[in-house]
Amino acid sequence: MPTIDIDYYEFEQMLKLQLDKDIEKINEILAFVKGEVKLFSEEEGILSIEIKDTNRPDTWCIEGLVRALQGFLGIAEGLPSYDVGKQLGEVFVDQRLDNIRPFIGCALVKGVSLSDKIIRSLMHLQDKLDQTYGRNRQKTSIGLYNLDLIKLPLHYGVATPEEVSFVPLGFTEKMTLKEMLAAHPKGLEYGHIVSKYPVYPVLFDSEGKPLSFPPIINSNDLGRVTSATKNVLVEVTGTNYNAVCNTLNIVTLSLVDRGGKAFSMKVHYPHRKISVSTPNFNVKEMRVNLRYVKRILGLKLDVKQTAELLSKAGYGVTIHTEDEVCVRVPCYRIDVMHPVDIIEDIAIAYDYNKIKPQWRRLPTTGWQRPEEHWIHIARELMVGLGFQEVLSYTLTSPEKLFTKMNLKREKVVEISNPKFVTMTCLRNQLLPGLLEFVSNNLHVECPQRVFELGKVTLLDAKSETRTRDEEKLAAVVYHANAGFSEGKSVLDAFLANLGLNYQLTETVHPSFIEGRVGIVNVENVATGVLGEVAPSVLECWKLENPVVAFELGMEKILRIKLSSRV
Amino acid sequence: MVELREQERQLMLALKDAGGASKEEHIIQYSKLPSAAIMRAAMALREKNLITIRETKQTFLALEEEGRYHAEKGLPERRLITALEKLGGKAACDKVYEAAKLEKQFTSIALGWAQRKKWTILDSKAKMLQLAEKPEKGSDEKLLELLKQKSNMPTEELPPELHDAVPILKSRKLLDIEEKTSRVIELTEAGKNLLKKGIKAIPEVTQLTQELIVSGKWRNIRFQKYNIQAPVAKTWLGKKHPYLQFLEEVREKLVTLGFKEMTGTAVELAFFNFDALYTPQDHPARETSSIYYVKSPKEGSLDSYKKALRNVKKTHENGWRTASSGWQYRYSIKEAKKLILRGHGTCLSARTLLSRDLELPGKYFSIARCYRPEIGDKMHLTEFNQVEGIVVDKDLTLRDLLGVLEKFALEIAGAEKVKFRPDYFPFTEPSVELAAYKKGYGWIEFGGSGIFRPEVTLPLGVKAPVIAWGLGIDRLFMMRANIDDIQAVFSHDLGWLRKKEVI
Repeated sequence: MPTIDIDYYEFEQMLKLQLDKDIEKINEILAFVKGEVKLFSEEEGILSIEIKDTNRPDTWCIEGLVRALQGFLGIAEGLPSYDVGKQLGEVFVDQRLDNIRPFIGCALVKGVSLSDKIIRSLMHLQDKLDQTYGRNRQKTSIGLYNLDLIKLPLHYGVATPEEVSFVPLGFTEKMTLKEMLAAHPKGLEYGHIVSKYPVYPVLFDSEGKPLSFPPIINSNDLGRVTSATKNVLVEVTGTNYNAVCNTLNIVTLSLVDRGGKAFSMKVHYPHRKISVSTPNFNVKEMRVNLRYVKRILGLKLDVKQTAELLSKAGYGVTIHTEDEVCVRVPCYRIDVMHPVDIIEDIAIAYDYNKIKPQWRRLPTTGWQRPEEHWIHIARELMVGLGFQEVLSYTLTSPEKLFTKMNLKREKVVEISNPKFVTMTCLRNQLLPGLLEFVSNNLHVECPQRVFELGKVTLLDAKSETRTRDEEKLAAVVYHANAGFSEGKSVLDAFLANLGLNYQLTETVHPSFIEGRVGIVNVENVATGVLGEVAPSVLECWKLENPVVAFELGMEKILRIKLSSRV
Repeated sequence: MVELREQERQLMLALKDAGGASKEEHIIQYSKLPSAAIMRAAMALREKNLITIRETKQTFLALEEEGRYHAEKGLPERRLITALEKLGGKAACDKVYEAAKLEKQFTSIALGWAQRKKWTILDSKAKMLQLAEKPEKGSDEKLLELLKQKSNMPTEELPPELHDAVPILKSRKLLDIEEKTSRVIELTEAGKNLLKKGIKAIPEVTQLTQELIVSGKWRNIRFQKYNIQAPVAKTWLGKKHPYLQFLEEVREKLVTLGFKEMTGTAVELAFFNFDALYTPQDHPARETSSIYYVKSPKEGSLDSYKKALRNVKKTHENGWRTASSGWQYRYSIKEAKKLILRGHGTCLSARTLLSRDLELPGKYFSIARCYRPEIGDKMHLTEFNQVEGIVVDKDLTLRDLLGVLEKFALEIAGAEKVKFRPDYFPFTEPSVELAAYKKGYGWIEFGGSGIFRPEVTLPLGVKAPVIAWGLGIDRLFMMRANIDDIQAVFSHDLGWLRKKEVI
C-alpha cells in the first residue's frame, strides 16, 4: 500500500473545502478513494495518506486525488476532458533493446509553471510509481527533462558500459555507465536490472547527447527540471507496454492539471514496422447491465439514478437501452478491468452506509473438525493437571530444534528468505519451544509447569505441498525436584482420562538421560516420548533445575481414540 | 467470666509464682515460652486489666574488645612500670618495652599514661625511664577487674568509689555504656483476685489433626486465632493461554452461526495463496520482502488441479470467459507451483471453492496461522493468526455482505453499531471495511470483506456469488486483554500469563 505525502493547504485549496485540520473529516472524504490519513504534520502542513488500492496509481498524487474526488464532492461531475495536441516529435527505438527494456512512451507538456513545491510533488509521484506500479523500476521507470534543451527526434538505443559518459543527476563529474552502476546511489540501487546485459539502454537526443541511462539516472545537463522549466519532456521506459503507457498518462495528466498542454510524440519501432503515438488519453467504453448491478449490489436503481451515480464517480455515461448503460472510462482508470469495478464505484457514490444490511438465514450447519473437540478436551485436562498453557511461534531455527536438543540435524521446512536468524524454519516438534519458554523465565517462581498444544510441520513427498501438519502436545515440569515419576504421573492421569491404555518402552534418545526415557505406546502404537531432559540439553538452554517432559502426537492419539469409540 | 488462652494462663501462673511481679526476662527463663508469645499474652492480659506493664530504662556498662584485653593483661602503663621495677627502676625505654612484652600499638599509650599518672620520669634526650613511685591500683584498674567478672553491669550496681573511672575508660574507648528497656510485669488487684478464684484455660491448638477429629478431642480444645490479614504463599493454577481461549470462543460463535471450519497446511502453493485469488505474478505481495518462500523443495504439485490451473492462467492473461481484460501478461505455471508459507487464510477459501464438497448454500471459516516477513511492531507480527471465511449462495449481494459484517460485529465483538467504508483487496470487488462501535472501546476496525471477483470464482468453477470476509480479531483481543502490543500474544513471560486475569 503506497503512502503519499501531500500539502494540506494546497489540498484544501484545490478541493475548495474547509477541512479544519479535522482528521475525521478528511478521512470521511478520503474514504471515496480508499485512503486514510496516517500522519498529519501540522508544522509542515504535510498530510501522509495511505491509499489502500494498489491498483489505482492515478490517486497517488495530489492532482490525481483531487481529480478522483471532485465528482463525489460535487465540484465537477462526469468525465474530465483531457486531450492531446498535435504530434511534435519522434522517437526511434533500437532493436537491440528487445530483450532488455523494449518499450518507451513520450509526451511533451508545454506551458507549465512549476514551483519548487510542485516539482517536489512530481518527484514524489515519480518515486511512488517507480517503486510500486513500476516494481522498483523493473517494469517501468520515469524520466522528466527540460524540453527546451533537447533537440528532437530522440533515439532510444543502447551503449556498451564504457562507451558513453555523462554527468549524472546530482553529480558534477562525467561518469561512464559502468562507473554510474558502481558509484552512483541510484546505480547501486537499481543497477541489477540492467547489469546482466552486455549493453545498457541509453536515451539520446538528435545530436547524440545522452539524456539518460534508463532505468538508472538522468543526465544532470539535460535531465533536470527546475522552477524555470516551462516545457517538459516526459518519458517512460519499461518491459510491459501497457504499464509504460499507463504510467506516462498518469505523469502527463499531473502536468496538464498544473496548467500544461500535452502534445504527442511518435514512437517508431522500425524492426517491428510499428509506429505508435504517445500519450493516448482515449477513453475506454464498457457496457454495464443494470440487472448485473442489482445482482451485485442488491439495489434497485433505474437508468437515470445509475447514470447520476456514475457521473459522481467521474465516469462518462451514454445510455443505450432501458437496462444497459455504456460507461466511458477515463484513460487513467487502469483498475477498471471488469464491470464489477464500475459497479463498486456506483455503490461508493450511493454510500455504503445508506445500503441496508441484510442477514440471510441460510440452511447451513455449523461444523468443526472432530479433532477440535478432543483438542479442546486435551487442553482442559492439562489445565486441570495444573499446567499453564503457552503459545509459541511455529517459526524457529535448526539450532533450537537440533543443536540445543543434542539431536542430529534432520531435514525440516526451511525458508529461503528468512527475516530473522532465529526464525528460519518451521518446527517439527514442540519441546524446544517449551524449553526456550522456561529459559526465558528463570527468574519466575518454581515449580513451573507449562504445556503447548500446537501444529508442527513435517516433510511429506506424497503431499501436494510436500508437507503435512500434525497436532502435538508437549508438557514440561521445571523445579528443583522435578523427576521422571512426576512426569509419568501426569502422563498417566492425562491418558487415563482420555480412556487410553499405554506402556512405556525403553529407548535411547539424545535429548534425555539414558535409562530415564521411554517411548509412549498408546494401544501399541508409538505416539511420543517421556523422559528426564539430559543435563547437556539443560545446559544449552541455561536451565538450572531438572526438567521432566513429554511430547505426544495428538493426531495419532485421536485416531486411536476416535476408532476405539466405534 | 474472663476467658484466658493457654499462654495467657501460663503467664498469670508464672506471675503468681514470682510473687505478683516479675521482670520479663525472668519469666522467659522460668516459663520457657518464647518472648514474642509472652509479650502477646501480656498485651492481651493488659487489655483485660489483669496486669500492668511497667517499662524502665536502664544503663549497663560493658567492656569493649580492647577493654577486655587490658582487663586480662593489665593496663599497658601498669605492665610498663612492673617491668621497669624488675629492671631496677631505671632503664632505656626500648629495654622496658621489651621486658614488658608490650605490643607495638600499646608502647606509646603505656608511656603516655605512665607519665600522665606521674608514675615515671622520662629523660627524653637519653630515652631513659625512671620509676617515680610504686603506685596502688587506680579506680580505673579496679573497674576493669570488676567488669571482667561481670559483664553488662547495671550502672546502679556500680560502687560509688568507681564512678569517676567510668568517663576515663570511656574516653580510652575501653568501655561502652548501653541503654536497655526492661519491662516489669505486675498483677493488678483484679489479676490477683482472679488467681485466688483459680483459673482454668481451654487448651489451644494450631493445626486440626486427624487424631483430634477422630478421637473427638476437638470438643475440648480451642483453635488458636490466626491473623487472617497476613499474606500467604502464592498459588499458580493451570490456565489456558488467554489468546487461545479467545480464539476458542470465536470458533464456537462461528460454528453457532452455521459456519464450517476449513483447514490446511502452513506450507501452501503460490497458486492458492495468489493466482487463484487473481493476484498477478509480479504483484508486490509476492516479492521476497512480503512472503516467505520454502527453500527446499521449492515446488509443489498442481497435478490435481489441471483444469483450474488452465482457467486461472487464461484469466490472468486475457480474462478468459470472465468478461475481464485480465492482467495482460505471460502467466508462468512454474511460478504457480512455488511453495510458500501462507500469507493469509484466504487460500483456504480458494481451496474450498474448488473442492467437490463445496455446499450451496455454504458458510465456511478458518482460523489460520499465517506468515509474512514483516518486521514485528506493536501491530504486526511475522507470524500471526487470521480468522476469515466465505459465504456462498446464489443471489447473494452487497446487502448480504453488509449483513454478515454487521452480524459479526454484534455477535463476536459485542458491538452496538457499525459503519462501513470502501476497502481494497485484489480479489474482491466491491470491498468493504467494517468499523464496530463498542462501549468503552470506541470505533474499532473489525474486519475487511468483499464479493469475490468473477476472475476468482469462475475459473474455480463457481457461478454463485461468494462473500469473502476476514475479522480483525487481534485488535479486539488487544482491547479485551488491555494490551497495546500484539507481541504479548506470543508472550514469553510466565509471570504475565500467571497473573493475567481471564478475559
